[in-house]
Amino acid sequence: MTELASFPLLSALLALPLGGALATALLRRAPWAQWIALSAALLTLLASLLVVAAFDGQTSDFQLVDSANWIVGLNVGYLVGVDGISLFFLPATALLFCGAVLAGWRIRAADAALSPGLYFAFLLLLEAATLGVFCALDTILFFFCWEFTLLPLYFLTSLWGVGSGRQAAAVRYFLVMLASGVPLLFGLLALSFGHAAIAGALMFDLPTLLATPLPVAAQYAVFLLLFVGFAAKVPLVPLHTWLPALAMGAPAAVTALIVGLKLGAYGLIRLAIPLAPIAARDLHWLLAGCGTLAILYGGVAAMAQSNLRGVLAYASLSHVGLVVLALATFSASALQGALLQLLNFSVAAGGGFLVLAFLQRRSGSTDIAQLGGVMRSMPLLSGFFLLFGLAGIGLPGTSGFPGELLIIVAALHSHTGAGLAALFGTVLAAAAFLAPFRRAFLGPLRNVDIAAGEDLLAREKAVLLMPALLILAVGVYPMPILELLRPTAEAWVAALAGL
Amino acid sequence: MNEVHWAALAGYPLLATLQLLPLLGALFLLILRKARLAVAIGRLFAVAELVVALELYARIEVSDSVMQFAERLDLLAYHAAADGISVLFVLLTALLGVLLAFYGMARQQVTPVHLLGVLLLIEASLMTMLTTMNLLWFAAASALQLGLIGYLLWRWASASEEKLALSRFLQYQFFGWCLFVAGAVVLVWSHADANTLVGGRWSFDLFDLLATPQIGKYQSAAFYLLFYGLAIRTPLFPLHGWLPNSAGYGLIAVGPVLLLGVKVGIYGMARFLLPLTAEAVLVWQPYVVAFAMVGVFYAAVLAFRQANLRRLMAFAVVSHTSLIVIGLFTLHPAGVQGALLLAVNFGLAITVMLLMIGYVYRRAGTTRLDSLGGLFDRVPFIAIAFLIGGLALLGMPGTPGFDAVHLVLEASIETFGALPTIATALGNVAAAGFLLWAFQRAFLAARPKDLPASRIARPRFMEYAVGGTALLVLLVAGFYPEPWLQLTDSATQALAAYFTHD
Repeated sequence: MTELASFPLLSALLALPLGGALATALLRRAPWAQWIALSAALLTLLASLLVVAAFDGQTSDFQLVDSANWIVGLNVGYLVGVDGISLFFLPATALLFCGAVLAGWRIRAADAALSPGLYFAFLLLLEAATLGVFCALDTILFFFCWEFTLLPLYFLTSLWGVGSGRQAAAVRYFLVMLASGVPLLFGLLALSFGHAAIAGALMFDLPTLLATPLPVAAQYAVFLLLFVGFAAKVPLVPLHTWLPALAMGAPAAVTALIVGLKLGAYGLIRLAIPLAPIAARDLHWLLAGCGTLAILYGGVAAMAQSNLRGVLAYASLSHVGLVVLALATFSASALQGALLQLLNFSVAAGGGFLVLAFLQRRSGSTDIAQLGGVMRSMPLLSGFFLLFGLAGIGLPGTSGFPGELLIIVAALHSHTGAGLAALFGTVLAAAAFLAPFRRAFLGPLRNVDIAAGEDLLAREKAVLLMPALLILAVGVYPMPILELLRPTAEAWVAALAGL
Repeated sequence: MNEVHWAALAGYPLLATLQLLPLLGALFLLILRKARLAVAIGRLFAVAELVVALELYARIEVSDSVMQFAERLDLLAYHAAADGISVLFVLLTALLGVLLAFYGMARQQVTPVHLLGVLLLIEASLMTMLTTMNLLWFAAASALQLGLIGYLLWRWASASEEKLALSRFLQYQFFGWCLFVAGAVVLVWSHADANTLVGGRWSFDLFDLLATPQIGKYQSAAFYLLFYGLAIRTPLFPLHGWLPNSAGYGLIAVGPVLLLGVKVGIYGMARFLLPLTAEAVLVWQPYVVAFAMVGVFYAAVLAFRQANLRRLMAFAVVSHTSLIVIGLFTLHPAGVQGALLLAVNFGLAITVMLLMIGYVYRRAGTTRLDSLGGLFDRVPFIAIAFLIGGLALLGMPGTPGFDAVHLVLEASIETFGALPTIATALGNVAAAGFLLWAFQRAFLAARPKDLPASRIARPRFMEYAVGGTALLVLLVAGFYPEPWLQLTDSATQALAAYFTHD
């Protein structure tokens, strides 16, 4: 694997979707533009798997590091690398985007004869920016990629979204993210200024910043600023209001991406906590409280939804609350659980939204009242949805179980009340999923479109099979992934405990 | 203050060439007037001007903060020189000249040769303002330029209310110009008065003024006169009253781009105001910044209320100009550098947006937001170019605005503390709100019935070329800002050094 490790694998990983985006944008009128998009997405997936293959699971250092000068005058560099925290986000992202590209096959814009090639171009641009967030080891590069995700999302939602609220949802998302980018940028700047006061030079690269801890007061400022910035993206209550609106308005594949990719939680794990460890440890109650609130609120709100998309959106709110609670425990096993849980959500929530995309194409709606008896005409589609839902609520045998178990055990140990609430939250989540499932998928047929709808096409089966297999495989035998995560998780916790 | 003679750096007097070339072009057009080739020749002159500007950039010694390419002609008190800051603005001016030369000539109702001639004259006056070291030359070129822009407004006016806009424009600008000249006179007189020992000679030359010791007594007066003179020109809240009126009329792109694309008001502050009245600047800094911070919000709020894309752009200008002034008045090397880069970035971004609005007007015949809509599927290139211009105004990553805003905010935190800076940054988000809102109304909303899709022609080659060039420069400068940072680094360090000695 040494020859693999010396190749700039991560830069290639970022370049592939960018090149694909450019090609599809230029050839957007060609009928085979979507094939270019698909091959770009598949090549990216291959590259991300090569990253996993080249990764050395024995150390907690950053690996496959690739760097170049960017803005020399400010010491801002192009610096990418992976460690155990970010490693599995790369294939998960690439897999989700493969699904999104396939789900967008022959997509039509809401009210215009817009060439679909543009849809794929924006999708691939979003993929490059998202992978950039996961790989970036320079805070400014991170912020750059972070903000860069907004533009394609805005276009995807306002041009290809569904319903009359899509444009308002797109603007709201854009503005909320832009506003939360302000504390984020200030947090990152405060961080570098704090380091400059100690070390003399203004640096933005993560390894240097991690090596020199800040004074406590500065840590509080940095942590709170970053926390607010990331909380809007996670999203944590009360900064979550953009999510349901977007989940209803965005095209289904894009919703799968927004809900499936937990950029906010990743930001907390990667930057906010390790860079301001003392403040994070002192403010553990903030993390635990926000996490618990999100778990309970998301669970209750999910039960009150009348649309399956709303159900999944609020359920994901509850899921990610569990991850934030896991971070508050500062234990290696909980962090492993949290990372595993994030991956599980990528696959389960992403897969669930893809199923809804297929359902919407057949029935024209995902409103629970409009559905009913889907199981009769589309048993395979319903079966996949059930599997993804069960993985989401953490049924044993699915990939949701080990992560949830690790988190709740650790939470019961360190924050007993919050742990109990999380346990109750899993019950809520189960109820929130199973009740609408019964009404929408079981029961008598009420809708002509559904009765006439055909079950999954071969292409759609291919999209859904991969996440379904992953869910079952990881659920039965999670050890390899947990082992790869272990050194980094232990180093992450040790850095916090060593203070 | 030192300077390097032009002969040491180039084979011919570059700065004089920069100023004379467009003049010569305008003269040619005057003679050729009706000839077929006239437009092509005018464009050739604009391109040649850009080539000379690029040569200036290639030959400047960026690590040296002294003024370079110096030319003097004592008889006329002509004194031109350039440093990294001037070169940056010169490059922008030349680029905008080329873009406009290729943009504006397709409209039938405009006599293209005539317009191209005025354009070249204005370019020459801008070049003089950007390279002269003499306050009077600066003022004279400014007067010439304002007159020419007034002429543009008048010559292509079509409705009676445009006359009102024109007179408002002239009143404001004449008043601002008088303030500037008065400020210059107060400054020079006090210098001459205080230095009677060396002869009490009156000189409007920047070098002479900086060589004699500064005097506290009249400095505040000089500062205020010069500052307000330039602030009206810029325009800065609350002196912006002329802009929304005149932006709504006249030529859509050519006039406003020349007026707003090259921020000579900001350049004048950096070149003359800050070094010449350094002590007064330190005293009045908090007030200037407070007004600018209010201006960011005020303009953003008013922009939301506009029904016309062109008036909305005017308020966008007021909002972001305030941000530039905040950066400049941090008096911190990074802040000054950020502000100047921001000025150039905003100039380019607003140019892209105005050009795209011009293209929209050619198709829809209006810029009223309620009569527009559904343009995205017909002209996605124009829509995306407009949006990228808007994002550059906000300082989104990937545009030069990002690095510049980043520098301004860094400096602002150090100088004014975190809270006012965060408030300013949130004001910038409000600006994002109105730009997105306008974008949605004009390009994404349902198309009105009286604007059938067949009327919206696909972009022509020239439109792709002009818009694409501007976008390319914007994005390349955004992703790779290093050359611009280097170009302005030593010059802004030298400028900020006036304020750090205490």
